[in-house]
Amino acid sequence: MSGDALEAQLQVRFITKQEQYAVPDSPYAIQCNVHPADLNTLINAILKETSPSFEKAVIFDFLVCGELLCASLAEHLQEKGVSTEDTLEVEYLERFPAPTPQDCLMHDDWVSAVQAHSSWILSGSYDNSLHIWSTKGQHKLAIPGHTSPVKAVSWVSFQGDQATFVSGSHDQTAILWVWNVPRNSVDCMITYRGHDKGIECLSVSADGNRFASGSWDNNVCLWSASLAEEENHPATKKSKPEHGTTRNPLTTLKGHKEAISGVQWMDYNTVLSSGWDHLLKIWDCDLGGIKQEIAGNKAFFDVDWSPLNNSIITASADRHVRLYDPRSTESIVKTTFTSHTGWVQSVRWSKTKDTLFLSAGYDNQVKLWETRSPRTPLYDLSGHEDKVLCCDWSNPSLLISGSSDNTLRIFKAKHAVGNA
Amino acid sequence: MPPLKAGLSLKRKIETENKVESKYEQESSNTKGLEELTLSELNIEGDSTDSEHEGNEEGSDQDQDEVLFKDSDVSSLEDEDVEYASDESSELTDSEAEGESVNSNDNNNAESEDSDTESDAESGIGHTHGSSGSESEKQTLKNKQKKKIAKQKIKTKKPDKDLKEKSQNKKGTTSKGSVDRLADVIEGSSQMQPVEQKDEYESGDTSDEEERRNTVGDIPMWWYNEYPHIGYDLDGRKIVKPPQRDQIDEFLKKCEDPDFWRTVRDPSTGQDVVLSKEDLQLIQRIREGQVPNPDHDEYQPWVEWFSREVLATPLRAFPEHKRSFLPSRSEQLQIAKIVHALKMGWTKTRKQLAAERRDRREKKFYNLWGSTGEGEGRAPHRPVPPPRRPPPPHAESYNPPPEYLLDAKEMKEWNKLKETPWKRKYTFLPTRHASLREVPAYQRFVRERFLRCLDLYLAPRAIKMRLTISASELVPRLPSPRELQPFPTGEALCLRGHAAPVRSVDFEPSGQYIVSGGDDGAVKIWETSTGRCLRTIELGEPVSRVLWSPAPALWLVAAAAGSRLLLLNPGTRIGHHRRAARTDLLLDEPPPQHDVQPDERTASAVKWERVTPEDWAKGIRIAITHFKPIVHVSWHGRGDYVAASVRAEGGRAVCVHQVSRRRSQLPLARLAGQVQAAHFHPARPLLAVATQRAVRLYDLLKQELVRKLRPGAQWISDFAFHPAGDNMLVASYDRKCMWFDLELSPRPYQTLRLHGGAVRALAFHRRYPLFATGGDDAHVVVSHGMVYNDLLQNPLIVPLKQIRGPEVKDELCVLDLRFHPTQPWLLAAGADSTIRLYS
Repeated sequence: MSGDALEAQLQVRFITKQEQYAVPDSPYAIQCNVHPADLNTLINAILKETSPSFEKAVIFDFLVCGELLCASLAEHLQEKGVSTEDTLEVEYLERFPAPTPQDCLMHDDWVSAVQAHSSWILSGSYDNSLHIWSTKGQHKLAIPGHTSPVKAVSWVSFQGDQATFVSGSHDQTAILWVWNVPRNSVDCMITYRGHDKGIECLSVSADGNRFASGSWDNNVCLWSASLAEEENHPATKKSKPEHGTTRNPLTTLKGHKEAISGVQWMDYNTVLSSGWDHLLKIWDCDLGGIKQEIAGNKAFFDVDWSPLNNSIITASADRHVRLYDPRSTESIVKTTFTSHTGWVQSVRWSKTKDTLFLSAGYDNQVKLWETRSPRTPLYDLSGHEDKVLCCDWSNPSLLISGSSDNTLRIFKAKHAVGNA
Repeated sequence: MPPLKAGLSLKRKIETENKVESKYEQESSNTKGLEELTLSELNIEGDSTDSEHEGNEEGSDQDQDEVLFKDSDVSSLEDEDVEYASDESSELTDSEAEGESVNSNDNNNAESEDSDTESDAESGIGHTHGSSGSESEKQTLKNKQKKKIAKQKIKTKKPDKDLKEKSQNKKGTTSKGSVDRLADVIEGSSQMQPVEQKDEYESGDTSDEEERRNTVGDIPMWWYNEYPHIGYDLDGRKIVKPPQRDQIDEFLKKCEDPDFWRTVRDPSTGQDVVLSKEDLQLIQRIREGQVPNPDHDEYQPWVEWFSREVLATPLRAFPEHKRSFLPSRSEQLQIAKIVHALKMGWTKTRKQLAAERRDRREKKFYNLWGSTGEGEGRAPHRPVPPPRRPPPPHAESYNPPPEYLLDAKEMKEWNKLKETPWKRKYTFLPTRHASLREVPAYQRFVRERFLRCLDLYLAPRAIKMRLTISASELVPRLPSPRELQPFPTGEALCLRGHAAPVRSVDFEPSGQYIVSGGDDGAVKIWETSTGRCLRTIELGEPVSRVLWSPAPALWLVAAAAGSRLLLLNPGTRIGHHRRAARTDLLLDEPPPQHDVQPDERTASAVKWERVTPEDWAKGIRIAITHFKPIVHVSWHGRGDYVAASVRAEGGRAVCVHQVSRRRSQLPLARLAGQVQAAHFHPARPLLAVATQRAVRLYDLLKQELVRKLRPGAQWISDFAFHPAGDNMLVASYDRKCMWFDLELSPRPYQTLRLHGGAVRALAFHRRYPLFATGGDDAHVVVSHGMVYNDLLQNPLIVPLKQIRGPEVKDELCVLDLRFHPTQPWLLAAGADSTIRLYS
């Protein structure tokens, strides 16, 4: 870039959607080559001038042309091809505060699945066992029961002292457990049989009545998660008394040609599934048919859908995280997030912010992404020493990831001041 | 004469007339009576010969003439007529016939001069009329008559003198006269023609007034002699002859009719026609050789129609021809030719030529100070043409005219200016040489010419066009690898767990698991997606080959450990549990061996063994012991047969085991060389066996050798069938891979030299058009190998990617390669005891 461009002045108007940080709506002339840090200082100074109540310095992120500003403003504008002559609108928002490492929970084997709830963390391991931890990092319970590595776990419901969760394993079964919290005892209530091969993923519907599982036998099965005995499933009750009753699938959704790698409930009767056959399918549970199909060009490893922005993010057998819009009829990738250096194994949306999501990859990294910054993640949550197999952000304040270095790492996300 | 020319020849006609007139004046009345002239001229020879012995007759003739002359006192023409008539009458020996003959003669005269047929006819008629006298007699008579005419003419020309001299030098005058007459005839004929022309026009005009007209045409009229009619009129009715009159009638008529002398019979109609006074005058004028039309003024003032003055309108009376109103076809063709030439640029218009000439004339200056840079501007290769030299003047000639040679005075001046030669008149001294050979340069001429030719030949001035072909153009055009995605590009997973080099890897048919076997004697089952080792089976012996059974109902892995081929169950807790349990159940009980009685040869090579309970617990289900260490194992596509090759020579080196019936076969009776690998054809019942140098295809049903492929390699390491079965890839230890089109030829379709070391492993993808080769050079090469259904299209082979392989250990790197059954992922077994998954 020439020296002139570096020296060039630029008319900038700062806007924000966070009312408490509003600055006067007047254009400022700033130099082109400012970095986000400089802008940050500027905004802080303005805020300090305008509002006396403003005390603590806040770190802001700046959105220019719909994308997060990472490098200097001039480079960003040049990349976007925006003229420096006009007055530029720069939106700023409080930066999501950096998560801090909170805990490292040691397991006996690879951690393959994890899900947190308000105060409990459920993890599944390759040693065929489930573990319940408190969010403070206290190991509450180890639950053997599966005969093969546990590949998926999910909380179902919390009713008083009784917590219900479900686990899926490569032993082709899913088991519904009931955990009595005060007594710290767990019961295997229902065993779900119906898959011919190992279960790879689980997802419980929002109302907690049903859950879906995806398996290596190319099928997605829907199961009832209610504890009440159902009359229409009297069969094979006594086959395995030690594992409680056995249930068959409510519906089997057949259509994938390869293994199912991820399922997600989108609606009370809509299920999203991703497969190794490069397809995302949206199923109608009542009809048992496919509502929509999105074709990718790599095998999908994980999928997640956010109700906040109705977008699908996928992890596939390459270095990219891809964002799809389920409403578009064409299979067009809206955004590709590239920063991982290995396969991305797991992706999870934030439950509270529609622009943030978490991804875990085989490059030992967990990354926190902002959808408007496809090139650089907000934060790299490093610490794992081997492939990260799973991640979870069900609890908005906990960023949890399980890895093949036998650890479960918890990062604490501080709530942004503006959102508090 | 056509009308077109008639107008044009008007002038000439007038001229000839003038000439004729002048001649007339000169010769006075030398020539008279054209008909007589021609006749006499025709019979000149006869005349001359006859004249002597008919001399006495002349006198009498003369007398008669005289008498006749006195008798009839009319014009000269009429004189002659009468004369004729008298002659005729004499001929007919009857004076009464005179009138008729006169008639006929008149008729003859009135018509064209040379209508021989008609005259013949008339003479014929006359002859018949005469009805006496033979042919010869008639001839002589005719001759006589003609002579008389000639004499008479001379007489009329030179009235008195000629008569006296006639007897003395008759012969001379006649001969001389004949020459003159001949000339006159020619003159006369040229003179007569236009006159006659005019006459015809007039007759054409008057022809409309005639009521009856004979349409028989120009035929001899005596053809109608025997008929009552004489021809046909315009309406096709017969023209009836008028009543014939005999001679008495004629005589009576002659006596009675005062107009008899001028009555003629029209031969075409047979009617008598009384000639009018004008007609007679016309005949007379013709006989006199005058212009027939008495109104014609021969001496009218001369109008110069055709002068050098250009007239506003052309002097033409006839209408324009149609042609002149139509565009000319030939011109159009010519114009089209020119237009085409202009279009093609072969010629230029005058305007363009002028512009070019103008351009050329404008002086172009050589831009001496122009930039020497690239692009346009000064082009160093295009020299400015030298100015054209003027042609050599006369003085430069080898033989100049004497006026160009320097005389003494000039020579003096020449010598005087010796000091300042540029002031001389010439730069050379004009010299005279008798011939070119004496020019001094001639002595050197041949040699000089030779040297020039030699120079041209050895150092030609032509610009040599150098062929510029870059190396990249010679390389066949291959599609860009970007278009051939997907294919593995980088390492995705590294599976660690083996303690020694991994010899063999394989995917489970659905791709969920990986099985690997290594030198540490362990067979390991891995999960593909995470690289987790799920199970390890210790076999105790180095495992050379592991292969997952392709049978959909079985859950089996074949592993070759030493000389034992073991069928393993990878574990009831892995994958499809029910299928694994069923496999166990199936293999627990050996099938009844009642009818399976292995022959001695097979029994010596292979032994099926029951496994011990410890081995069963490990997962080993069946063990087949061979007599030599196993080097290669491959499953048949349906998973019931497995072919094992052992390190031995001869027919026992390849053994095919049937798992369901637990029996073995030795399909080959004999085999030359050591077996390197044996594979079943993916589609047909063929078994391919690779020895050190050749690959042989055997038909298992017909039990015969189908084909022998000679890759030309020193030592084949392994080979693989394309999933469609028509192509085969052979890897060799001498760094080559050979692609065979089995339908095409036993020679390689393409030889790929992609590796720097021995190629040990190769694999085809089952779905994508991909194949990979790996060897000792630390690289795995992924290539695009598209086989088309179209038989005419050759397979497309494009090397796509060279991936960094496992680390080299003990000069070994990649020991086995395998593609994922569904995904474009490649698995490589490394000598550094790792397994790498590339995606």
